[in-house]
Amino acid sequence: MASETSEGLLITAKSLKKMYGPHLALDDINLEIPPGAIGILGPNGAGKSTFFKCLLGLIKTTSGEGSVLGHDIRTEGDLIRSKIGYMPEYDSLDPGLTAIDQVRYSGELLGMNPDSATQRAHEVLQYVGLKDQRYRKIETFSTGMKQAAKLACALIHDPDILICDEPTNGLDQRAREFMLQTLKKTVSEGGRSVLMSSHVMDDVERVCDRIVMIHKGKIVVHRSIDEMVNQVEKEIEISVWGGASKMEQELTSIGLSVRRMGRNMRVTKVDEGTYTNILSSAAKAKVQVRKMTDYEPDLEDIFLLIMDKLGEDVKETDDLITPRYTGEGS
Amino acid sequence: MKNELDISGGTTRMESAFGSGDGDDEATASVAQKAEVKASIYEQTYRPWRGSLGPRWVRNYAIFRHHVYGIFSSKGHRHYHPLVRLTILIVFIFSISPVAMLFLASLGGQGGFGEILSRMWGINRYNLWGQVLGFFPRNLCMWPLLTALVVGGMISDDRRNGTSAIYFSRPVNRTDYTAMKYLSSAVVLGFVIVFSYIVYYTSAIVLNGEGWAFLIDTFPIFMGGLIAGILLVITYTSIGLALSSISQSRFFAAVAFLAVIYGTKMVAFLIESTFDSSILYLLSPYDGLAHIGQWLVGIESNYDHPLSLSIVSILLINFLSLLLLTSRVSSLEVTRE
Repeated sequence: MASETSEGLLITAKSLKKMYGPHLALDDINLEIPPGAIGILGPNGAGKSTFFKCLLGLIKTTSGEGSVLGHDIRTEGDLIRSKIGYMPEYDSLDPGLTAIDQVRYSGELLGMNPDSATQRAHEVLQYVGLKDQRYRKIETFSTGMKQAAKLACALIHDPDILICDEPTNGLDQRAREFMLQTLKKTVSEGGRSVLMSSHVMDDVERVCDRIVMIHKGKIVVHRSIDEMVNQVEKEIEISVWGGASKMEQELTSIGLSVRRMGRNMRVTKVDEGTYTNILSSAAKAKVQVRKMTDYEPDLEDIFLLIMDKLGEDVKETDDLITPRYTGEGS
Repeated sequence: MKNELDISGGTTRMESAFGSGDGDDEATASVAQKAEVKASIYEQTYRPWRGSLGPRWVRNYAIFRHHVYGIFSSKGHRHYHPLVRLTILIVFIFSISPVAMLFLASLGGQGGFGEILSRMWGINRYNLWGQVLGFFPRNLCMWPLLTALVVGGMISDDRRNGTSAIYFSRPVNRTDYTAMKYLSSAVVLGFVIVFSYIVYYTSAIVLNGEGWAFLIDTFPIFMGGLIAGILLVITYTSIGLALSSISQSRFFAAVAFLAVIYGTKMVAFLIESTFDSSILYLLSPYDGLAHIGQWLVGIESNYDHPLSLSIVSILLINFLSLLLLTSRVSSLEVTRE
């Protein structure tokens, strides 16, 4: 079932705009997403769900154009949805059905014949770890098992793109690990692409290699995680014992930038000599350096950094109400 | 990405990583150790699927099959409570009970008990009308109850369980979804109401050994009753599905349907008793259908108001129900916000 556009892009959007009445939900989205695992990030109300709906061809865009797997999102929604597996955030399973029947039925709704849907349902339920529970009714399932069953429903037709809306929502640690491992395997072994939205940065970081961040209807970041990590200032993290204030003064006095919280400090890495400078300062201040490591920022750090920056630049929601509808300024 | 945010030179937040304390006290830490996985017998392998997907009718037939087959076997199809299935069976048996009386009449021969039974249960305008549109026991006890049980959870269950996402995230559009739900309900109701009517008519011919003359005499009446029955199925399905679509509870939809059928009938009856006017029967779906049915099979009307008003009333009830149904189905979400 794998297919891509001639340029090798899964999703493209050009000047895509979506308005709900006077409210701007998506604003001038320009995007080219290559195959792989992509995390869709953004605070609540940012436009993630609207973006997914546009990709699935479920709502009409106000202006602009876009394609998924080479199909126009404005006119070929049915085709797009037959090549996409969508795993909703909330419950979307019939509690009265067994897992095997639910997954089979979701395959039949795609146009699979009952026999091949049944056969495939067995395969995907084994893949998501529900082999032994497949004849149990959904109503007896735990949250983790329900999430796995939803994933099985999304994978039944071996889709080119798997869209997962908060796949680890409500899962305990073990179920979460398994879900993330399954998604990762779907990309690495299955060769499928995954679009994953989550509020848990760690989950996104573990599955995805790129992120798209939406904020108030705009794409504010679309880059690989590694690329963004490299953009953030390099710091050395130290933990000292017995005289942290003195140590801070010493480091500042030799011109190093220090951020301190209790006994822990982060020193901006200027060059390789910074390590020596830190140790010299510790000797002068007569403190023990109990830990010294290069600090590797994770996706959560980057997310918070971006949100900090956005806090300065982006306007409030009311500013996204267009004058065309409110009549102001005309 | 011309307008993309620049994060070059930014620094990370510290409070996300560090604890409290002034740095001069002695630090202790406890480190949780992750349990080591010794071995696993479960091998997770992604298997591709090389099949092809069927066209639109295959998807639509899957919806239809899921809902209709569930009446006979819940295994693999929509789950109907055993009591619901039992009630539907009882209603069906009641609806074909005149066939048993016709059988007894045919055993009784000419004259005597057989003739009495034949006169009571045999084919005539009133019995054909009564088979589908008689108020007691059919429209008082059987048809509304049947409709309430079949249609109650048809859409409300999808709203409650969020299963609408399973439909609309697939290449099933809202028109197909609504049409298949409608067809599924109508087929089940039609099987009990219309099919039992056809069985009643044909068994009378077979059991009494009727000839062409009987057929020529009664077939137009039969067709009138058939059309009335189909109208009844359509109208009840429209109202029932509309009520199912506005709620998350199958109980609400079922009770609301019964309330509409009995409530309008009761109010119109009280008004007629007090003011001697049948005009309020226009609000009652049953009476609108009964009025049209009386005209179709050619029996005397029970109503003072013109037939055209009843026709308009039924058309309007269907139109409003379908309008409500389509507008509520269009509000079913794939992504809940």
